[in-house]
Amino acid sequence: MAMIEVKNVTKQFGDLTVLDNFSVDFDHSGVTVLIGPSGTGKSTLLRCINGLEKIDEGDILVDGLSVNNKKNLKQIRKTCGMVFQQTVIFPHMNVLDNLTMSPIKLLRMSKAEAEDKARYYLDKVGLASKEKSRHNELSGGEQQRIAIARALMMSPEALLLDEITSALDPEMTREVLNILVNLAKEGVCMLCVTHEMSFAKEVASRILFMEGGKLVCDVSKDDFFGSVREENERINKFLSFIGE
Amino acid sequence: MKLNYRFLKNPQYIALLKEGALNTLIITFFCLIFGFLLGLIFALMRQSKVKIFRIIGAFWVDFLRNTPFLVQIFFFYYGLPVLGIQTSPVITSIIALSINISAVNCEAIRAGLMAVKKDYFDCAYALGFDKIQTIRYVVLPISLRVAFKPLVNNFINLILTTSTCFSITVVDLMGASKIINGRVDRPFEIYMMLLVMYFCLLTLISIISKAIDKRIAIKL
Amino acid sequence: MQDVHTIGKYADFAVGDIRTFAEACGVTLSVTLLSLLIGTVIGIIFGLIRCSKNKLIRFLPLIIMEPLRNSPLVVQLFLVYYGLPVMAGILLKDYTAAIITLSLNTAAFFGVLVHNSILAIPVSQWEAGYALGHGKFSTFINVIARQALRLLIPQAITLYIGQLQCSSIVSLISLRDITRVGQLLSVRTMRPFAVWGIVFGLYYLVSFPLARLADYLAKRIDYTY
Ligand SMILES: Nc1ncnc2c1ncn2[C@@H]1O[C@H](COP(=O)(O)OP(=O)(O)OP(=O)(O)O)[C@@H](O)[C@H]1O
Ligand SMILES: [Mg+2]
Repeated sequence: MAMIEVKNVTKQFGDLTVLDNFSVDFDHSGVTVLIGPSGTGKSTLLRCINGLEKIDEGDILVDGLSVNNKKNLKQIRKTCGMVFQQTVIFPHMNVLDNLTMSPIKLLRMSKAEAEDKARYYLDKVGLASKEKSRHNELSGGEQQRIAIARALMMSPEALLLDEITSALDPEMTREVLNILVNLAKEGVCMLCVTHEMSFAKEVASRILFMEGGKLVCDVSKDDFFGSVREENERINKFLSFIGE
Repeated sequence: MKLNYRFLKNPQYIALLKEGALNTLIITFFCLIFGFLLGLIFALMRQSKVKIFRIIGAFWVDFLRNTPFLVQIFFFYYGLPVLGIQTSPVITSIIALSINISAVNCEAIRAGLMAVKKDYFDCAYALGFDKIQTIRYVVLPISLRVAFKPLVNNFINLILTTSTCFSITVVDLMGASKIINGRVDRPFEIYMMLLVMYFCLLTLISIISKAIDKRIAIKL
Repeated sequence: MQDVHTIGKYADFAVGDIRTFAEACGVTLSVTLLSLLIGTVIGIIFGLIRCSKNKLIRFLPLIIMEPLRNSPLVVQLFLVYYGLPVMAGILLKDYTAAIITLSLNTAAFFGVLVHNSILAIPVSQWEAGYALGHGKFSTFINVIARQALRLLIPQAITLYIGQLQCSSIVSLISLRDITRVGQLLSVRTMRPFAVWGIVFGLYYLVSFPLARLADYLAKRIDYTY
């Protein structure tokens, strides 16, 4: 059984069909990169998997649990950590508390244990020195790295990352991507929406290209940048367009 | 002319002042609670998806902010008996003043609620918090911190405004002072004393609240 | 309540009441406008002194402003109306006492608004003025004051609305403003809802459009520098 099974999902906003009878599976391993033009429903897909948007038809199973059942959402969100483009570090607490809040409140972890774990992940994202900082004392890149650490605190089986670098300047983007590369090498399973093709080339095992609410292609990285690109006019154009 | 505070030696007047202070305290206390709750209700109404609630909320705030408190309290004082409702002046004051400050509290609370954007909900939900937990651990702590300063301002205004309740015969600090002045005829001394008392109290509240605000303030 | 007898006892509305209300509007408006005018002028002076570089000078206006901002207006009014004549040996008419109190009170709050508006203009704007060859005074008038004014106006209107409502407390020294007349008529006619309805309406009619104007002007300000 795949970890995430998206089965014939249709999602509409009013008249606009954003996901059109969409199906795809994700396994427990590797980095999957999801690309496609703006407005094709990439974010919507991720949000549906995490139960942030209700789906109109079809079903999504995460470890066999359906997102259509509200009772499963807590477990599903524990399985899939998510980081957004517009992530917020909660402004009423410092970085350490941002990290420890969910395990303490949701997993009943002891404060000491949660703080140890938080320090471990802060160290991992290279921000061990920032544990007492507030959100307004952090750069955009630092905020995203902390958000990654915060998502990891719940020990998710997979990370859903939605264009987490697209609001950052190149240098900060690099910082964040380096963290992701390290995590990928350690075997953290990720599903990312990103337009950073260098990142995709470095760590992705699988690439999905979607357009107009449909999956256009679903291939391995090597195929994508090799044969698929040469044969598929549309994908070639898209890649050239984003500067590849 | 020399200042003459001898009347303060008279235990009768001290007792009167104590009664006044107690009434001021009672009115302030209940208006603080009811004014906040009413403000919260109307803030939620103004944020509601139901249009009629929004209209009622907006009208409530507009009306109360654009008419004098004194007229509002007279309205209740002269109006309630006509409806057959007999209450004490203190209760009438609490009703009128709670309603009056609910309007400004509504605006303060609304600003707090609006400070919590959709992104905060998304992040909290994605971490696994449900709706109630999100409100408890994220929305409320942020909203109340943002609303704290204006709410304290409203509280200070509330204390200032209680002093007009004597106009409907409430024996609050001001009412007591007026009675004492009627007997000893030392208006300058009495009202100066009252002014200094209010000034010290409110300055103290300002200083404390600024210290608290400094600790809890968040930059959004 | 002595005034009641001067208007008549327990009688329904009469034509004369229209005139009474009209006169009351005159009292409320003249007290409010006059004290706002005086208060604004004094307030600007307070606000400018508050911007001084000298710490002592900067502190001086606070001695007047803080007690005025942190004590009840009624107490201030009674102090001026009843207390001052005894203390200083001068007799004040109710109208004069009302104007003095409301003016000073307005000035205290206006001073804060002026001070804050000027402080809100970033230092870079001063520097820009100097860089263009303006002196200190000229920079203030041509660069700072104009921008500060845009911040100030909506807040000033809000303050004015508040002071219009505060003017109702002059009824407590028996000055026949709208509130006082409302009180007298509501006792005389025994029809509080009709009377207070009219009184609410009169205040609302002046206040509401001004409040909307303040909202509109506040929204138009671009706070980003
Ligand atoms: N809450 C919403 N209400 C209405 N329409 C929405 C909503 N969220 C998204 N949409 C619409 O759905 C479509 C898909 O949005 P989505 O954010 O999933 O696109 P995307 O592929 O992530 O694009 P981008 O690369 O720009 O992030 C867009 O046309 C968007 O306008
Ligand atoms: Mg998107």
